[in-house]
This record gives sequence, structure tokens and C-alpha cells, in this order.
Amino acid sequence: MMVGGRSHAAGAGRGRPWTFYALAGLFGLFLLFLYGPMLVIYLLSFQGPNGGVTFPMVGTSLVWFADIVKPGQMANIPASFQRSIALATVVSLVTVVISVAAGLGFRRRFAGSGVLFYLAVASLVMPSLLVGFGIGLGFRVLGLDASLFTSALGAQLTWTLPFGMFAMFAVVNRFDRSYEEAASDLGASAWQRLIYVTLPILMPGIIGVGMGAFTLSYDEYARTTLVIGTRNTLPLEIYALISSATSPTLFAIGTVTTAVSFMIIGVTLWAIYRIQRRRAASAPSL
Amino acid sequence: MTISAESITIWVRQRRCVLPSWHFSPRAVSWLQVSPLALILVVLFALPTVLFVVVSFFDYDRTGIYPAFILDNYRELLTTPATIRVYVSSLSFGVTVWAITLLLGFSIAHFLIFHVRSAAVRTVLFLLCAVPFWTSGIIRTIAWIPFLGRNGAFNQIVMHAGITSQPLDFLLFSNFAVIVTYVNLFTLLMVGPIANSMSKIDPALIEAARDAGASRWQTMVEVIIPLSKTGIALGSILVFTQVMGDFFVVKQMSGGQSASIVSALSNEIQAMEYPPASASAVVLVTFVAIMVACMMRVVDVRKELVK
Amino acid sequence: MGRSDEAGSAAARFDVELVAVTKRFGTVVAVDGLSLRVPHRSYCCLLGPSGCGKTSTLRMIAGHEAVSDGDILIWDRNVTDFPPLRRGTAMMFQNYALFPHKSCIDNVAFSLKMRGVRKAERHARAHKFLTLVQMEGFAERLPGQLSGGQQQRIALARALINQPQVLLLDEPLSALDTFLRVQMRTELRRLQRDLGITFIHVTHAQDEAMALADLVVVMDNGRICQMGAPHEVFDRPASAFVARFIGGHNVLPGPRGPIAVRADRCRLGSASSGSYLRGHVSTVEYQGTVVRVALATELGEPVSAIVPDHAFFANPVNPGEYVTLVWSESDAHPLGATVC
Repeated sequence: MMVGGRSHAAGAGRGRPWTFYALAGLFGLFLLFLYGPMLVIYLLSFQGPNGGVTFPMVGTSLVWFADIVKPGQMANIPASFQRSIALATVVSLVTVVISVAAGLGFRRRFAGSGVLFYLAVASLVMPSLLVGFGIGLGFRVLGLDASLFTSALGAQLTWTLPFGMFAMFAVVNRFDRSYEEAASDLGASAWQRLIYVTLPILMPGIIGVGMGAFTLSYDEYARTTLVIGTRNTLPLEIYALISSATSPTLFAIGTVTTAVSFMIIGVTLWAIYRIQRRRAASAPSL
Repeated sequence: MTISAESITIWVRQRRCVLPSWHFSPRAVSWLQVSPLALILVVLFALPTVLFVVVSFFDYDRTGIYPAFILDNYRELLTTPATIRVYVSSLSFGVTVWAITLLLGFSIAHFLIFHVRSAAVRTVLFLLCAVPFWTSGIIRTIAWIPFLGRNGAFNQIVMHAGITSQPLDFLLFSNFAVIVTYVNLFTLLMVGPIANSMSKIDPALIEAARDAGASRWQTMVEVIIPLSKTGIALGSILVFTQVMGDFFVVKQMSGGQSASIVSALSNEIQAMEYPPASASAVVLVTFVAIMVACMMRVVDVRKELVK
Repeated sequence: MGRSDEAGSAAARFDVELVAVTKRFGTVVAVDGLSLRVPHRSYCCLLGPSGCGKTSTLRMIAGHEAVSDGDILIWDRNVTDFPPLRRGTAMMFQNYALFPHKSCIDNVAFSLKMRGVRKAERHARAHKFLTLVQMEGFAERLPGQLSGGQQQRIALARALINQPQVLLLDEPLSALDTFLRVQMRTELRRLQRDLGITFIHVTHAQDEAMALADLVVVMDNGRICQMGAPHEVFDRPASAFVARFIGGHNVLPGPRGPIAVRADRCRLGSASSGSYLRGHVSTVEYQGTVVRVALATELGEPVSAIVPDHAFFANPVNPGEYVTLVWSESDAHPLGATVC
């Protein structure tokens, strides 16, 4: 996204206007609101073995965490988790390649660029279940079985590709074409230009698209639900759990997911920090 | 020997040769680059949509579906009062949630872009907002139940603080719960695009406005809001279509008091009644398409995004 | 891309020749039937206001812009349809376009890498060129860590490593402050002489063009208004536009048509015999060695006299005073009637 860059902050250097405190307060409340249910999740994941999905807490235990890794009758969390990760990885890679290509392609006006753009918008705003419905119907008509890496993958791509495309637009717009001209001036062929100049410079944005697509896929249930076939991804397994037997296992899953997210973010930030420090150390300031 | 002008011209024309290294015209390259995207969108989105438009005219009975061209599905759909009711309900949810997320999302985006000075802090705050989204929306929806229930956390807190003596009943399994959940899930969809638009505003414009004597409010109305139009439009479209297309939140949080268009549709799909489901889908898609087209008339999204 | 070949260069008639080159952007004609011949080993400046087509012309010579009509020859080879790589040109971009993700030495060695030269050899060659531009200590730095002037040197080294026949510079000095600008000017001139190749340099600053160029090409509206040695353009401007753009001239009505008189050849005096013009002093600008006295006259056109400082302070004038501008007949240069 657009974090970073020049400061828009009002009155940099002067004191804060009252609106700062008001908005900061609002932001704080919003965070509380966002994390409120999360806290419930964290608390209830430690629910005692006889407790249910609501308060009060009947003792504390780690029983529900253990339940996650045990393939149960109703749901097989580890297997569906693996499927989610595998699918998200594939979706992410495919989205990155196609979005980058499309982002580069849209730099010029070409016949049909308007149609394609609005098609992507339509794909984004179409109610998710209907997309799954259409694909499922199509598979049925063709006599094919719905499965993870065919219909489910396709359904998720209709969601991630438009996002990826728009993200790439933002990235590519900031890209100065004179880098490419300099490269061809210096003798780079079109391929060399792409590999040695264009892609490396766009890389941070591309990684962002990849991560975004991974997240979108991992969390997706509405488009996937009608076309998943017999083996569920994690969100759909959770959905099945809710319909059959709600238990604090759900909350344990939520806690673990959050812990993993924080860990990944923490590691990434730390890695970036280390890289920046190493760069600053090797180059004396001007 | 003197070289005449004509001979130079002829010689010059003959020497011109077209090199094979430029054999792709730029337009052809563009087509090549967007073709995977186009292919996937056509095969996985456009064609399935056409398919269920076609199926919406089919006949059906308990044993299967039959290709035909009948308008019965539409007639049944559009003449039952339940349809109108559910559309009104979804629409009212949509508008309410849109309004709330707009106000909230705009304020938060404004705070993050215009009041937070350090880029590092801004990134951290953004990440803080984004982390909940790595947990499945299903779990986060369910989590409201223990929070808002009669014995839930919120009531416990409020009663302990002495604000009320009776647990508040309207919190859960009500329209309130549905709206709260929607806002929780979808505000970030507003914050993202609006913050993106705001970050593109040249800070010098705001200084110029202050310089000309505009108050903070006037600056916001005259400068910031118009220049964030695209983000507002995008966020609105995303939130609105998510609400209209939802089938899960309403079912869980309204306790059966409200239905959503799509959950009714999914029931029909479960029952393998594809033609009426398709008709329902077509009506919904048309409705959403009209709303989105109206929103996109206000802001030319394409011009803004593909500069 | 070939080496600067003395024999090859001598056999060709000119280093760069443009034959009726036209560039259209839709309905807009940016460059209109331009013909130009740049002699061997010369420093040529394309000079003109923004929008005159000078950058488009440069980019067409470089191969970054397709030619709508006409031909471009480099060393008598018709390169009109050649890609940039095969033209024997190298371009220095206005914003330098140094690859931000590569170190300086990798930037300079980039073209060698594209041709498959091994790392040790291409780094050795790159080092030589870094030394040529006096940046040998900056090999491992990233462009983002350099100042504007330093970035420019790296961009120069990167362009020169391919030993081009023609170096094309797109407003190379506009991003620099005045002091650096003068410094780099000398560097560029020195480089051009040492390397013995042709530089084509686009600029809107006439002082820059006059200081650097062997051949000044004044352009407006996609056409060449005048070309020649700097002193020729300055002493004998071909049209009113050139006289005004090149600066330091008064365009005045003469007995047989408009004339241009150098402002430093005008004096403030009394209307004895000869040519004169009366007006009110509008501004007095002290410029160190000279004083520029601007007059408001009935012509409506800006008119000024550039007076040596000692002469001015001997007889100072103040804004608002009624004075007479005087010049001698021999300093009046008749102007052509062309628009450009």
C-alpha cells in the first residue's frame, strides 16, 4: 500500500491541533472495537474442557488447542490447514505473475483495455457466492468434478486478480519509464530490461501483491464454498464446524492464527530493520 | 564529384531497413501481457455469468432441470413479497453499514495520513488494523456471540460498571448485531482506498488552502474530500457489494429475524433448484450492477487508477 | 555498437545528419521537417524554449522516439529504424535514470553485462570510466546516496563506457545549482575534447549553449530558426525571435524593417545625430560588472541598455527619469522577416 512517503501531517514542528486528539481517540476506540471480539477469542480459547462457546469460563485449559491437531470426526483441521496453505501459495504465485504482466500491459492504451478493466471491476464486486455458483454450474454442465486446484483455484483467482491488478496499477504508475529507456539505450534486450531493471525496481510492490493475494486466498470462503469439492480448506472446515458442533476449538484456531500473524510481521519488520542498518553502516553519509 | 540533393534522398531511402529486433508492435506486446488476465476473467467469470443467465430461463422440477425459455422463475421471484422484503432488508443494511464505515473509515484514514507524522508509526498502526484480518471472518463473526450475548462479556462489563442493572437484550440476534459485525469486518475496506487517495494529495495544496484563510473544516470540505473522491467511491463500492452479497453474517447474527438475498439463494442451490437460484442471482447482479454503475458515474474510477 | 573509428569517422560526411525529420503526436506536430548536419567531433547545442521540439529531436536521434517522417543518419548509416542499441549513440537522461537497485559500478558496467562480458573484466572497465569522471571512490555506493552532481557523473560514465560515436544529453545541467552548473559545464567541454566525439546537448539556457557549443541550433515550434557558431548567432541573429531568445538584444524598428541592437552597445545619452529612442527608466538592475537599465517606451517592447558599472555610476539614473537610448548605425543588425 501507500504507507511511507512524504509527511502530510499538519503543522509539522508545531503543536498538535485538537483534532489530532479527537481522531487519535477515535482511532484508539476503533482498535478496541476491532480487537474486542479478538480478545473474546483469545480468552475463550483457554476455556475449560467442560465449557462452551460463551462465557462464563469453566476453568482454564489447553484442551482446545490440542483439539486442533487431532483430526476429529467433524473436522480435520491440520489437513484443511495444509490445503489452505497450498492453495494460497498457488493462488499467490499465479496472481503475481498475471497481475504483473497485466499491470505492465495496461501502461499503454490498447483496443479493449476499457472492457477488460470493467470486467475486472465486475469480477471484484460480484457477490462471491454467485461467482462460485456460476463456476460450479459450469463444471457440472461440462461433467467435471469440482476440486481444490481447478474450480476452487479458479474461483479464488476471480477475487485476487482484480485486487492484484489494481495494486500493480499503483505500483507501475510510480515507475519512471526513463529507467527502461536507459536500459535499452545501454543495450539491454527487452527480456534483459525486464529481468534486470523493471522487475527488480518493482519488486517491493510485487511482493506486496503476493502477500496480499496469499491473505485473500487463505481467508476466502464465499467464492470457494460451492466449488471446493470434497476436501475443505480451513475456512470451510471451520464453517462446517460451526454448522455441526460449535466448540472453543474455533477460538483456539483464531488465537493461533493471530499469534502466527504477529510473529510473521515481527520477523519481517526485524529483517527490514536489520537490512536497513546494514546498508546505512556500509555507506558513510554524504 | 558533386552530390546532388536528389541522389542523396534516393540513397537515403534505399539504405533504410527494418530490423527484426523490433518485430512486436507495442500494442501487440500489451495484448500479450494482458492475455492471461483476460483469459481467466472470461473463462472463470464472464462465461459462468452467462451460464447462469441462461439457466435462469430453464424449467425444473424435483428430478432435474430442463433447458427451456420460460419466464416463470422471474415471475415467481419478482411477485413474492418475500423477495421485496429481503431486498429492502439487505438494502437498508447496505446503506447503514456504508454510512457508518464511510464516516469511520474516512476519519481513520484522515488520522493516519494527515495526523501521524512518522512513516514508521503509520506502518505499525496500519499493520495493527490489518492483523485481525488474518483471522478468518467466520471466527471473528462468531466471536461476537459470546461478546454481545446476555451473559456475554459486554453485558458483564456494563453491569459491573453499574451502567445498567439488566443485561441488554438488543445487542445480539438483532439488526444491531448484524450491523456491528458488518462494520467490524468491512471498515478496513473503506480505510484502505481512502487512505491511498489521501496520500496522493500534494501537501502543498493544504498549505495553500490554510494560507488563503480556510479553516480546518473548510480545507477538508473544499480540498481533501474532493481529492479523495476515488478512494471514497472505491471503498463504498467494496463495502456495499460485500454487504449485498453476504450470506453468513446475517444468518448468524440476526437469529433468524432477517434473511439475506444470498442465503435464500444458497438454500435453493442446496436443494439443487438451479433455475430459480439463477434467476435470483441475475436479479441481484443487475441490482448491484446498477448501484455500482451509479457510483462509478460520480467518480471516473478508471481514469484515476490507470493514469 | 562500434568503437570511435578514426577512419570510419573521416569517411562519413557528418557525424549526425537529420534529413527533413518530422515528429507528430496525433495532430500536434512537434518537429517539422527538420534538417541538420552536425560536423565531426563537435559540440552541438539544441537551444530553445520549452515545447520547441528540441527534446523530441534528441530522443529521435537516440531511438527512444519513432520518426514520423524523414531520415536520421549517423556516420552516413541510415539509423532511422534502428533500435537505440545499434545506433552508436548513448543518452544521458535529464533525471539521470540511474538504476536505484544497483551500485554505481554495476550501473556503469550495465551495458557490458547486457553483452555478456564477465564480471571481473566489466568491473575493471567500469573502474576506468569511474576514474575518468573522478568518481572512483564511489563504486559500491547506491545512487540514492549520492548528490545530484555525483549522480550525473555516474550517468556520464555509464553512457560513455560503450564508446558511443555521439553522446546525447537531455538538459543535463538544469537540476544543478549555479555554481555546480558552471563547474560541470567545464567538465563536459573537457570531456568532449578529450574523447573526440560529438555531443548533442539540449538546453533552454542560452548562456549554457553559448559557453559550450561549437554549433548552436536555435529552435522554435519544431523548426530551426538559426544555426551557427555562438558568436555568429549572438552578433547576427536571424530573426526577432532569435534576438529576443538569445538575450542581450533590443529589437527596434529600423528605417527598412526591424533591427536588433546589442544592449551593451546602447548608451544612455543625448540624441545628437544617429539613432535614438526616448523613454522612462523602469528598473535599474545592478549586476556587478554592469548595470542593466530597462526602459519603458512607446514601443511596448522591453528595451534595455547594459552600461559598464563605472560609466553608470559616473552618470547614474533613477527609475522614472526620462532618458534617451542611443546607438550607432553600424551596430544595428537588420532582422529577417521570418516568424521563427
